[in-house]
Parts: sequence; C-alpha cells; structure tokens
Amino acid sequence: MPIHRRTVLHGMIQGSAAVMAVPFLDCFLDGKGQALAATGQRIPTRFSTFFFGLGLTTSLWVPKKAGLDYETTVQLKPLEPFKKKMNVFSGMRVMVDDNPNFQHWSGNAAIATGIAPTKVSQFDSKTIDQTIADAISRGTRYKSVAAAASGDPKHCYSSLGGANTLPAEPSPLSLYTRLFGPGFQDPSSGAWQPDPQVMLQQSVLSAVTDERRDFMRNLGAGDRARMEQYFTSVRDTERQMAAELQRPDVVAKVAIPAAPGEMPVNYALPNVRAVTPLMARLGALALATDQTRVFNLAISEPGSNIFVPGDPLGYHVTTHMEAIDPVLGYQPHVAQYNIYSMELLASVLKELDAIPEGDGTLLDHSLVFAYSDQSYAKIHAVDGIPIMLAGSASGRMKTGYHIAGGGNAVSRVGLTAMKAMGLSVDGWGKGSMETKSAYTELLA
Amino acid sequence: MRNTAALAVFLIGITCASAPAWTAGSNQVVKLRRLSEQEYRNSIADIFGKDILVQGMFEPQIRISGLVATSTAVLSVTPAGFESFSKMADSIAIQATDEAHRGRLVSCSPRSAKAPDDACAGEFFSHYGFMLFRRPLTADERQARVNLARAMTRSSGDFYGGLRYGLAQMLQSPNFLFRKELAIGGKALRLEPYSRAARLSYLIWDTTPDAELLHAADTGELNTAAGMDQQVDRLLASPRLEAGMRAFFTDMLELDTFDTVSKDSLIFPKWSAAMALSAREETLRGAIDLTLHQNGDLRDLMTTRKTFINRNLAAIYDVDFSFDGEWMPLEFSPDSGRSGIVTQVSMLSMFSHPGQSSPTKRGVALMDIFLCEPTPTPPANVDFSVINETNGPLKTVRERLMAHATTPTCASCHTHSDPIGLSLEGFDTIGGRRLMENGQRIDLSATLQGKTFLDGPGLGRYLHDNPKFPACMARKLYAYAKGIDTEEVDASAFRTAYQAFADSGYRMRTLIKGLVESPEFFDTPAAVKEASARQQALR
Repeated sequence: MPIHRRTVLHGMIQGSAAVMAVPFLDCFLDGKGQALAATGQRIPTRFSTFFFGLGLTTSLWVPKKAGLDYETTVQLKPLEPFKKKMNVFSGMRVMVDDNPNFQHWSGNAAIATGIAPTKVSQFDSKTIDQTIADAISRGTRYKSVAAAASGDPKHCYSSLGGANTLPAEPSPLSLYTRLFGPGFQDPSSGAWQPDPQVMLQQSVLSAVTDERRDFMRNLGAGDRARMEQYFTSVRDTERQMAAELQRPDVVAKVAIPAAPGEMPVNYALPNVRAVTPLMARLGALALATDQTRVFNLAISEPGSNIFVPGDPLGYHVTTHMEAIDPVLGYQPHVAQYNIYSMELLASVLKELDAIPEGDGTLLDHSLVFAYSDQSYAKIHAVDGIPIMLAGSASGRMKTGYHIAGGGNAVSRVGLTAMKAMGLSVDGWGKGSMETKSAYTELLA
Repeated sequence: MRNTAALAVFLIGITCASAPAWTAGSNQVVKLRRLSEQEYRNSIADIFGKDILVQGMFEPQIRISGLVATSTAVLSVTPAGFESFSKMADSIAIQATDEAHRGRLVSCSPRSAKAPDDACAGEFFSHYGFMLFRRPLTADERQARVNLARAMTRSSGDFYGGLRYGLAQMLQSPNFLFRKELAIGGKALRLEPYSRAARLSYLIWDTTPDAELLHAADTGELNTAAGMDQQVDRLLASPRLEAGMRAFFTDMLELDTFDTVSKDSLIFPKWSAAMALSAREETLRGAIDLTLHQNGDLRDLMTTRKTFINRNLAAIYDVDFSFDGEWMPLEFSPDSGRSGIVTQVSMLSMFSHPGQSSPTKRGVALMDIFLCEPTPTPPANVDFSVINETNGPLKTVRERLMAHATTPTCASCHTHSDPIGLSLEGFDTIGGRRLMENGQRIDLSATLQGKTFLDGPGLGRYLHDNPKFPACMARKLYAYAKGIDTEEVDASAFRTAYQAFADSGYRMRTLIKGLVESPEFFDTPAAVKEASARQQALR
C-alpha cells in the first residue's frame, strides 16, 4: 500500500492528525520493500578533490612538451605510475579582475568556483564538488564526505557558498565512524535490511522542515540566505535517510576493515604521510560501497603549515623565507616539500586504483580534481597553479595529456571536469573567468 | 532565590498564553546567532542536567575581526553539521526520556505508558519548548509537537517514545540552534524581553536563560531599569559568571587556536598535546582569578607575576612542582622575565612557528588582541629570504627582521607589529626562557609608539599603562555580547560603560554591568540596521 510519507506527516504536524488504523511503520516498509529487490550493475562515476597547499616549483614540474607522451618532470615523478590515467594542466590563469589577490585564498577559491572571491575565506558560490554532488549523489547516504589529513576540520574547501565550509573529518577514526559506524550496513551482506528507526527519524525531520515558513518571518536578506542553507541541510539529511532504506547497488568486492585506532593527526609530515593514505582508503571504500559519490581530501590548508620534524620553519614560512639557490635557480627546501605533496597525491590515487570494479578500478570510474592555492608561493602568484585531473570518469575523459594552458582561464578545467562528470552545463565562472569552452579534446 | 514552586506554576501557566504580541508583523530579527559548542553544551546541561551526555561533532568555528562570537551571526549549518546536530538531538532526547531520567525530567505521568496522552505530552513540550526556545511556544508550535508525539506513540506503542521524538525535533529546530534576537519596530529597534534575557544570559553565564530570567522577561521586568538592574546584579553575583567570562577570555585571547597548534617534537621534546591544554587552562585560571575572584584591576593581567601551573607547565617554566594537587599557585621571581598573560606559554606558543619563535606573529597577534590594532597583510610580492639566512652575517631574528626596516613598504607595518614580538624574544617557541640565539645574546629592547621598553616586564608595563588596552577590552566585550564586528563598533557605543569601568579601577563586573545597562545595549539604531542589511545582502 503506497502512502506518501510527507503527505501523511504534513497533515499530522499541521494539527489534523490522521488516525491510522495500521501501525505507522508497516505501511512504509511494505511500500519501500519492493525497491530492495532491484539490484542493477551500473557503476556510478565518482568525484573527488585533493587539495594541497603552496603549489609546486614551475621549473621543476611543468613538462616542456604538451599533449600526449610528455616527459616526466622531477616533481611529477611520484605520479608516474598514474601518468596514463591522468591529465595535468599548467599555465592556467586565475583572473581576479577588480578583486584583491587574497593571499592563499583567491587561487584556491577561483579554482573551486570559477569566481575570484570578493572576501577572504569566503566562497562567492557553491564549490565545484557540491555542484557535481547535486547532480550525481542522488540516492547515496552522504551527498559528500570530507577529510582533513592534518587534523583541522576547517581544512575543507567545499562549500554551499559564503563563509561556511563543510566540516572535514579530522582523523581516520572519525572518518571511519561517520562512514562505517552506527547506521552503516554493508550492502554486500545478506543480513542487510532497512532500519525501521530511519522512518521515524524522517518524520522528525519533516517536522523540522515544517517550521520553515514561521522561522523565516522578519529575517533580513542575509539571514534568510543562511536559513536557506540550514533548511537545505535538513533536506539533505532527509534524503540521506531515504537512501539508507535502500540497499545500494555495489559492484566492487570490498571488505570493510575494523576501525582504525587513535593516532596523532597534525602537521608533522610523518603523521600526514600515515594519515593521508588511510583516509584515502576509507574514502575509497565509501565510494565503492556507494555511501557517497563525492569525497574531498585536503592534506592541509592553503599556506600549508606542514613541517618536516627538525625544520624550525615548516612549509609555509619556508616558501617565503628561503632564498633562491643561485646555482639551482629555485628554493631547494621548498622544492622538496612540493614533492611531498605529489607523493601524497600518488598515495591517494593508489588507494583508488587498488579497488577493482567492473572492467577497471575505482579510479577509472572516478575523476579526481587535484589543485593548490598558489603557483609560486614565495610571492603569492596565482598564474599557473598546478591542477591535475586523474581517472577517466568511466571513460568520459581521455587521459595521459599535459595541457599547456597558455594563460587561459582556470575555470576551463572546472568546466571540463563537470562535463566529464556528465553535467549538462554550458558555461562556468564569472567575470574574466566566465567560460563556455571546455577542453573538448579531452572529452570522449 | 525565588520560590521554585511559584515558578513551576508559572511555567505551566504560560503554555496557555495566546500568541505573544512580539510575533506581530512589523518586527525585525536584528541578529540570528548560531549557538557555539559551549553554549549548546551549557544549555543542555542546565535544562536537562549534567548527567545527560552530549556526544558528537560540532561545526568548526571561524574568527572574524578577532572574535569567534562575531562569526556566529554569519555562519549557517552545513549538511554534515546538521546530520551531527540531528544525531545529538536524538541521543539527548533518548536519555532525557529513558527510565533513569523520566522521573526527574517528565513532570507528569501518562494515563498509560503505552498510549498517547495529549495533556501530559503538552505539558512536557510547553516546558521544554520554553526552556529550549527561550520563549513560550505558540499554541500551534505546541500542538505540532503533541501531534508528532501522538503519532510516534501510536507507532511505537510507547508514550515516552512519543516524547523522545518530539523532544528530538525541538533540539534540532532552528529555534533552538539559533538565537533569534527580535526587535520591536519604531525609530530605533528595541529588543523584546525574551531576546534581552537570552543576550544577557549567554553573555554573563554562557548559557541559556534560567527560569527566573525568563520569568522576568514574561512579566516585563526586563523592560524597566529597576527590573533589569536586579536581574543583572543577580547574574553577576552568581558563581556562574566564571563560565561566562571563561568563554569571553577564550574567544578574545584566541585560545581555541590551540586546538590545531603543532610543535616540532624533535626540536622541542617537552611539547605535547597535553601541554596545549595545560597552557590554555593556566591562562583562563589566572584571568578569572584576577578579574573575578580577586576583583582586581584588569590591566594587571599584563603585569602580574602570579599564576597557576600544573606539572606539565612546571617543566617549561623550569620551576619545582611540589604540590599534591593538580594546579598550584605560583609567583614568578622578579628576574624571571615573566609578566602576565603576554609571557605565558599559551600566548608565546600559539603565535610562533613549529620550531622557531616569530616576533612578527607574536607582534601581529598581540597588537590585535590587546590593542585592537590589526596589521594589514603583507604585499604579495615580497622577498623574505634575508630573514632566514642564518649562515649570513645576521645571527639573531632581530637582526634579520631589522633588514625589513630598510624597505619602506615593509617598514610601515613591521615597525607597528615587530617591537612587541622582539621584546618577547627571550622566550622560545614553546614559551621557555632563553637569553642566547645562535651564540649571541638576544637584545630584548623595543620601541613602540615613542616608548622604549625591555623584555616581558617592560612589554607588560607598556600595555598596562596604555589606555588603548582597557578600551580594546571594552570594545571586544561589546562586540562579543552583540555578535557584531569589533571593527564596526563605534566608540560612542560603549563610552559611558568605559567611563564607569575606568572609574572603578578597571573592574570586570563594572564593565559588564555598564555595558548591559547602557540604554543603547538593547537598541539597534535604524541607520545601523540598514547598513548591516546592505552588508548582508552583499555577502
């Protein structure tokens, strides 16, 4: 007997409560039960971001040759195992127009939104991962999940716009608990069944949504926008609960490991190196079991405070204070830190590529958008910030290319990524970065 | 203490009130502030008892113009944040209605534990709605929860199950998670009494208004000078003032920064995560003791050699810890170089690099925190290399930093921020004392705004005697209380309060009382309202 839950509850909350003859739960269980049998084999395409602070050293990472079969440079060396599975973008421009170049912010925000930010630490629109999540995350438990490998939940450059960023899980254990703790059921388990609790919780959320009209009364424009975000968050949680009532279709054969222990999560490089692949593995498992289709991982904030034990300054301060070696022509310590970032990216790609799925791997069914905040951090330059797109988005993106951007707007990369993810978008970005031209040569 | 029985009658009685006058259409929400983690925790503990566990993640905070409090009027709730609030709400509601707690927390008994009882549920929701939303529920709001509980009781066969879901709903409602400050229209907007009660309570006690304060709002007492005075005195006389001022000092001194401070344990093996917690607690204990317990002069925070330490801190301060308990009062010797908050481990270590002190970071932070003088960010295209060249002729940080002074673009800001930091170079990145750097004796002198001083005590005295310091504290407390941007507070807004503060010899209680009892504290001038609306629209 199909009953539309919202209709029932709406009536109930408004005071004209329906007196139901059948137990409240069973009617929904029956209605939902039919969906459980349906198990398809379609593998969804996932989207991930990888944020690393402080860029790379241009003379050490940008290949001289553009297109296919470019030479592997010193700083791209750690990514060599994935060279055929990714594209690298050099020479893309961030155009701030009349806005300031906010240090360690404008580049990051422009790449994530296609818009030069008008305020520091704020996004002028929804970030690309959330736009993509809107399109691809329907029916998954989480619209997106984020993790911060140096332990600060603020290290997440994913936002619905404004000052709020989506909080990141600050440790492997908290990430594990969110993904595979209470509320998680292994979709490949024979014992999977919808949790009746979920439907009661959905009713509670409906009652929260019912407060919307009254709560919005007498609010100014700014506060209205904030409350729109709040009620969007309520709806997302409702959707998430609806998803929990249906067994996800899962192709990958993965086993969910035991929870990781407590471990130090901070800026010390050895810790970041231990935490990053572990978080990536948990993220990969979440993608493989369709708990989410969007996973954001940041190894640090822009202006990274990661440090090698024994280095009194750390990464960020070193970029500003280290002299350019007159013989080498670059900052040697900074160059080494740059390589650590690429090694960490490689460790993430390795985890995604390690999960076989259908005719390929999870990485093949993903698009990983890796980017930074600066190109030449010493002077806060934002032209030529390194960007990588790894994975072929289930075959929709051709890989193995070096795109020499030649001063083109950085938003072209974001637009290309969205098209590869199957979004029907004509253009992206604002001001000088507004673009309608994706790199169509990369789109299959 | 008022008669609690009378209050209980009042609380039940209020449920029958029709829609209050302040819901009329011409009113304006002047502030909408998201509860902070501590405000949430304190509110739950006060409403349901300290044995109710609050477990889960709170959304990270951000700081705007020096205060986290300001950001509470800007931030919303993200999907992950709401998911967590939702789980927390359910967990609290389960505990509050379980067998162990219902005797204490549910004031009525249902006719049957297995069937709906609208009267009992209504009483329950009226009471907790009033406490959680900090105002009476409207009849519709009350009825909505009764209906939800009735349906849930029917489906679960448990009366208390119904209460649980209804309560969980209220705990994730925007009416609880946000403090809505509603003003009544006119030439100037004036806060309605329940919003006044909440603003007072979260400022002074860092928690939700208690029944007596809500009662004073309901009777209109808070609209009269005498009634307001009586309630403010009551709040200030309570030991709970300590929690309120701890929250203020934590925010103003940016002590939450410690959550993400990493130190290089290779260079500084004494450092640990426990050290950060200890250092934060030292600063709070000292500040509370001086300003509240001793009712001292707030400016002495800069000069006192008295503090409290635990075993961790004794290692950094290099003093004996001969004490059975956890925290021991300590008075540093006059030649220790220590002088108040600015030379404590907290301030010294938060504003440093992982393995090296930073006069610039310390200077920039302390100028902003204590004098309300933010330093502009450096120009993007600057070569700092010379500052780090320790193998060159410039051995100390001071010498390297002074190289800036030769560049006019750098000098304009560095002469502003560096002197404070340079006078603190006698302390390393974790706050330990040192007098040499790279084999050379450190010069601890500094000149700032025409005044020359030496070492921690010199800096402490400079700040103590600088009238900008107490004025900055008054400005920050005002911005903190109202959730506005420190830099947008007009000096006239707290002039009378500041005068009273100065006349009292800079007593904290006098400052608070002066601020909240100044006529403009609960007003929003129409002009300001429009400006902030414009600003929000641009956001």
